[in-house]
Amino acid sequence: MTRFEYDDSDVIVVVGSGAGGGTLANELCQRGFKTVVLEAGPHLTGPDYENDEWKAFAQMAWTDPRTASGSWEIARDFPNLPAWIVKAVGGTSTHWAGACPRFKPHELAARSVYGPLEGTTLLDWPITLSELAPYYDRAELKMGVTHRHGRPPLPANNNYKVFANGAEKIGYRDYATGPYATNAEPFDGRPASIQDGFNFQGDKHGSKWSTLVAELPKAERTGNLDLRPDSHVAQILHDADGRASGVLYVDRNGTMRRQRAAVVCVAGNSIETARLLLLSSSARFPDGLANSSGQVGRNYMRHTTATVWGQFDKPVRMYRGETMAGVIADESRLDTDRGFVGGYYMETISLGPAFFAKFVAPGSWGTSLAEIVDGYLNTAGMWIVGEDMPQETNRITLSRDTVDANGLPVADVHFDDHPNDVAMRRHGRQQGTAVYDSVGATRTIQTLPYPSTHNLGTARMSSRPRDGVVDRFGRAHDVPNLFVSDGSVFTTGAAANPTLTIVALAIRQADYIATEFRSAAR
Amino acid sequence: MSTLLSDEQRTTLVDLLRAAFPHDRFPVGPYRRTASAVVDAAAANPRLHALLLQGLDDLDTQREVGFSTLDAETAQLVLRGIADTPFFLAVLDVAVVALYDDHEVWEILGYEGPSYDKGGYIDRGFDDLDWLPDPRIESWIDGDVTSNEGASA
Repeated sequence: MTRFEYDDSDVIVVVGSGAGGGTLANELCQRGFKTVVLEAGPHLTGPDYENDEWKAFAQMAWTDPRTASGSWEIARDFPNLPAWIVKAVGGTSTHWAGACPRFKPHELAARSVYGPLEGTTLLDWPITLSELAPYYDRAELKMGVTHRHGRPPLPANNNYKVFANGAEKIGYRDYATGPYATNAEPFDGRPASIQDGFNFQGDKHGSKWSTLVAELPKAERTGNLDLRPDSHVAQILHDADGRASGVLYVDRNGTMRRQRAAVVCVAGNSIETARLLLLSSSARFPDGLANSSGQVGRNYMRHTTATVWGQFDKPVRMYRGETMAGVIADESRLDTDRGFVGGYYMETISLGPAFFAKFVAPGSWGTSLAEIVDGYLNTAGMWIVGEDMPQETNRITLSRDTVDANGLPVADVHFDDHPNDVAMRRHGRQQGTAVYDSVGATRTIQTLPYPSTHNLGTARMSSRPRDGVVDRFGRAHDVPNLFVSDGSVFTTGAAANPTLTIVALAIRQADYIATEFRSAAR
Repeated sequence: MSTLLSDEQRTTLVDLLRAAFPHDRFPVGPYRRTASAVVDAAAANPRLHALLLQGLDDLDTQREVGFSTLDAETAQLVLRGIADTPFFLAVLDVAVVALYDDHEVWEILGYEGPSYDKGGYIDRGFDDLDWLPDPRIESWIDGDVTSNEGASA
């Protein structure tokens, strides 16, 4: 296990070890950079994971306090759990499902294509799809994504059979069991899926790509990785020239440490990344680091989501098999005739009875809940995930009255649906219901959004410094050696599940850092 | 754990849970265990403890006879009347987690629980649904990512 000195100012510090931070760290280590990864959570591995929803949640989820405000249902139903993400080595890549759609060309030019939409802060990405395409290839190859580059598809599980037959019946064409970043056959030293059905709880088998099983072990082998779990960063430091000079963090013993750095990369997932930048205020940067635009924490996006369940008079057993190995892409098209801009995917989803009962109709009880739960065995499920609109007032701020165990103000997550989000969700529910009705559903149930699993946009990329926080490589407009390396940089959200794009951007950022900071390499 | 709940109050709590989560197929065991989960939570949370002691007493005063002797329909009506009280909401909050996390309940609902130690479902029916035809698993555009994106641009 490599250890670098606290005062070694040649290291690159990466805050967070998830899809963005973990990938970036490996890419930097491969290029010879001394890399210190500070992960707030513990180092859990496969044998630690629980095949049990509540135990897994207690073990992995970020349950440090947060608050929620705004008109979204989450603020009412889950006021202290606005997001469902992971606090552990590997970050949220350890509980993501695996769906890997790419962005479409128009989704990187949302302002130009969708036009000015009242109440939104739509902006074009400072990157085009053709610039991103080679990095998508590298990401898909790295992750072993099914249906891509000759990798075989996963087989159809029970939930997919219902989903795909319904899709076919109502005339959809673009459905498949992927692209999906879980091995259908052994790949990259990791085994094929045994269809155990546990994805959101951590994959004990290691068939699913995560930074825990794929990126960090490779980084470790270079001798350039110093991975420090249980290390919560409290502040990013800067020098008299306004360059990042290191970080302050609380280690597992509660001791405050200062790690010096040549470059600091922040990848704490959009809520914590914005929180850390806001916490890192100083006399020179009174509104928080990298925030001269006032954009840090704003334009928070969480995808327009919903769940549709179909219940049948025969068994489905949706919980068996890969949870999200089923995608209908027909509604991801650009087609404003549907009454909204942007598109959405439909993806299979499954919950065990414990989460199903808790989330299917939050707060409900009595015969209405009991009848739904009684149909559990015969239930099929799909998730709707689509592009939501960036809004200036959907934002992460520091709580004025709630602090965490370290006395650091927690993040408040404020969110209001845009009318476009509402229209898309309505359409998605209607189409999802049609899919299940077409194959004989006796009942369909429409479930509200869960606490956010996709958190995006709080430090967005922009060409002009006044419109965002980072440039086209994720480098802070205000601080030349500070990078943001997670979904915070998304200028707009697109419809696709974000992980593949986060990984592609992290590889691209590593190339850039390697060019710009060559002297820091060993 | 220490509780001030009387045996009668505990019985009322079990009956409240049966009325709030009415499953014909569930025996009383899961409801009793859920009641214990509520009582345990209350032992660690004075606010919940107080709500429980007062709320269960109040519940018995809703009709001329005690809650446990009400027929199912009346019990539902009584619960609807107190649905927004802090007492009922606090009980629901703990109970919905405990009841549906009960392994006897899982078995009744047809959920098989942990699967990894049994080798997952790869050889145990992940694809045994036979009342619909086997759908294709490849996309109609597979192998041509560019045309996918071109088609939607």
